[in-house]
Amino acid sequence: MTRCLLCEQQLERRPTWQGLLGIQKKQHLCEICSNSFQRADIIEEGNLLDSVHSLYEYNEAMREFFHQYKFLQDVALADVFAGELRSVLKEKIAVVPIPMHPDKRIERTFAHVEELLRSAVVPFLLLLEKTSTEVMGEKTREERLAMKPLFILQKHAVIEPITYTIVDDIYTTGTTLNQAAFVLKEAGAKRVEAVTLIRA
Amino acid sequence: MGQPFHTAVRDFLDGRIWLRRHTPFPKDIIDRHIQEGFIQTIPGIQTNTTVLNQTHHTCNRCENNDPTRFTTFHCAKCEGTCTYCRKCLKMGRISSCTELILWRGEPVSFSIQHALAWQGTLTSSQQQAADDMIDSTNKGRSHLIHAVCGSGKTEMLFPPIHELLLAGKRVCLAAPRVDVILELEPRLKAAFPETSIEALYGGTELTKQAAQLVLATTHQLYRFRHTFDAVFVDEADAFPYTADQTLRQAVQKAAKPGTPVHYVTATPSEELLSTMKKTGSISTINRRYHGYPLPVPRYETLWNYEKQIKKGKLPQKLIVWTSARLKKREPFLLFFHHIGLMEQALPLLQALDGRIRSVHAAHPDRKEHVQALRNEQLPGLLTTTILERGITIPNIQVAVVGAEQKIFNKGALIQIGGRVGRSVNFPAGDFVLFHNGITYAMDDAKREIERLNEGGIGK
Ligand SMILES: [Zn+2]
Ligand SMILES: [Zn+2]
Ligand SMILES: [Zn+2]
Repeated sequence: MTRCLLCEQQLERRPTWQGLLGIQKKQHLCEICSNSFQRADIIEEGNLLDSVHSLYEYNEAMREFFHQYKFLQDVALADVFAGELRSVLKEKIAVVPIPMHPDKRIERTFAHVEELLRSAVVPFLLLLEKTSTEVMGEKTREERLAMKPLFILQKHAVIEPITYTIVDDIYTTGTTLNQAAFVLKEAGAKRVEAVTLIRA
Repeated sequence: MGQPFHTAVRDFLDGRIWLRRHTPFPKDIIDRHIQEGFIQTIPGIQTNTTVLNQTHHTCNRCENNDPTRFTTFHCAKCEGTCTYCRKCLKMGRISSCTELILWRGEPVSFSIQHALAWQGTLTSSQQQAADDMIDSTNKGRSHLIHAVCGSGKTEMLFPPIHELLLAGKRVCLAAPRVDVILELEPRLKAAFPETSIEALYGGTELTKQAAQLVLATTHQLYRFRHTFDAVFVDEADAFPYTADQTLRQAVQKAAKPGTPVHYVTATPSEELLSTMKKTGSISTINRRYHGYPLPVPRYETLWNYEKQIKKGKLPQKLIVWTSARLKKREPFLLFFHHIGLMEQALPLLQALDGRIRSVHAAHPDRKEHVQALRNEQLPGLLTTTILERGITIPNIQVAVVGAEQKIFNKGALIQIGGRVGRSVNFPAGDFVLFHNGITYAMDDAKREIERLNEGGIGK
C-alpha cells in the first residue's frame, strides 16, 4: 500500500499501459497534492552566472513542503521532486550542489540539496565548501555585501574549462548562487549555470 | 542519590514522555537528574531484527510500528544508518539517535479540593448517563455515552470528572479535533475554577505545571505514558481517531494500565458499539436537550461543480443559497471535501461578500476566523471537515458541497447536520447536501437522523 507523502491519503493504483510495460514513474504524491505545486520554469540569464533555471513558484504548498523537509527533517520528502529534477539535470555533466556547513549538516542530520540529488539519481561533485554557518535570509543587503566569501574550493578540487551546473533549493537574491559561480569561474570554469527548485 | 530533584523538573516531566534535547530546562539540569536516577532515558526508535533478518521498528513515543511509516537514511549526526518515525514527525522528529526521557522519581501528588461551579441542571436522562459513567469508573470498566448532537454531552461529563478530581486523580479529556478542545477549554475552566487545567493542542505554549485535568487532542497524547487515572474521549469517532490505530493506542498508553477509557459521541462506529457491548457499558440519549428534532438533510444536485469551480465559475445554486443566507443575515458554513477546491471557490464566494473566509486544519487564522463567525464579524466560512463537530453557533445554516465524496461518510454527515438548530432560540435551520450523485452514506445518514427523531437511537 502506498500513501501520498504529503497528505497520507492512499494512492489509487489504476492499471495503465505504462504500468504494464513497467515504465511507469513511481508515484509519491496524490493528484491533488501534486497539482498544488505551480510549475514556473523561469530561466534568467546573466554574466557571472550564465543562466538560472527555477522549476517552481514559491507558493503556499511549496512553503509547507520546505518547512516539513528542512525544518521537520522529513528526509523522505526528497523523493517528491526527484523525477522533475532528474529530467532537468540528467543531461548535465558536472552538477555541483550548494554545500552546507559541516556543523549545520550534523545539526540538521542531512544536507537537503544533496539529498534531493541523491533521490533524483543525479551524480554530483562536492567541489565547494561553506565557510560559515550564517544564514543568508537573515541578513540585510548591506550585511550581505560586506560579508567575506561564502564558499571556497574544496582542497583537492580540480576545475576544468567546462560547464558546471550548481543546484540549490531556492533562488532568492542570487547572492549564494553568484558567489558559488564566482569561485568556480575564478578557478577556470568556462560556463556556470544553475538549477533551483524554487524562484522566490 | 546526592541532591534532591527540582520540583519544577518533576512537575513538567511526571507522566510525560519527552525528547531529551527539547525540554524547557538547561541541559546540565536534565543530565544531573538522569545521573541520579530521577529520569530514565530510552531510545527514540526501538529496532529489532527478526529471525528472517528483517528489521522491525517501533517508535517509543507514538508506538507506531507500521513499516511504511518509517524512513531510513544516512544520518550526519550519528554517522550511520538512522531510522525516523514519520507518524509523529510534526511533534519533533524521533530517530534512532534521539533519546526520550521519563520521570522515575517521586510522583506529583494532586489536590483533592475541587469545586464544581456549573449552575445548570441535568435532565433526568443526562443525570442517568452521568451516574452510569461514575459507576463504570468505580468498577474500572469503559463506558460509552451515545448521545445525539446537541444533547449536552459535555455537561454529562462534569459529575464523573468531579468525582475523580475529588479523589486526587489525574484526568484527561481528549478529542481528535483541535476545534473541540478549543470549545471545551473555557467551559471546563469555568466549571472547575479551582482545578489546575491545561489545554494541549498543536501550537500551544509549553507550560511547566503538572495539570490535574488535561484537555488534549488525541495527537498530544503521544507525549504521555501511563499518566491518567481515567481518559474521556469526546467525539470518539472523529477522523483521524477512527481511522488511526496508532491514535487509539496513544490514548490507551496515556491511561495508567488497567484504568478505563470512556467515550462520548453522537455517531459511534460499529466497532466501538460492539466492543462496548462486549466489554464495557453504554448509556443512550436520543433527544436534544431542548427537545426539538434534529434537522433532516435535503438533497440538491450540483452537477460538475468541481469542473465549474476550477474554471472560475461558481455554480448557480451555490450563488442562490449563499446570497439567501447573506440577505437574511444567517451565519453559514460551506463544507468542502478538499482544501484545493475550497481555495479555488473562496474568491468566487468573496465576490458575493468580501468578508467570507475559509479554514482548514493547517490554516494559521483558523481560531480567529471561527471566533469572528461567532462574533458575527464574518457572514460565513468555507471549511473542510475540521468544523464538522464541536462548533456551536446559534442559527447556523449548513451546506455540503460535494456530499457524494468519500470523506462525507454517514458519521461525518450526521455530525455536520448536528451543527444546525442547537440553540433553543433557533431550533431549526437549513441542512443541504449539494451533490453530484446520491451515495449510500447520504441515505444512511438521512435515515439515521429520521430514526433518531422517532426516538430510537442505535437500532
Ligand atoms: Zn496528497
Ligand atoms: Zn512516532
Ligand atoms: Zn541519527
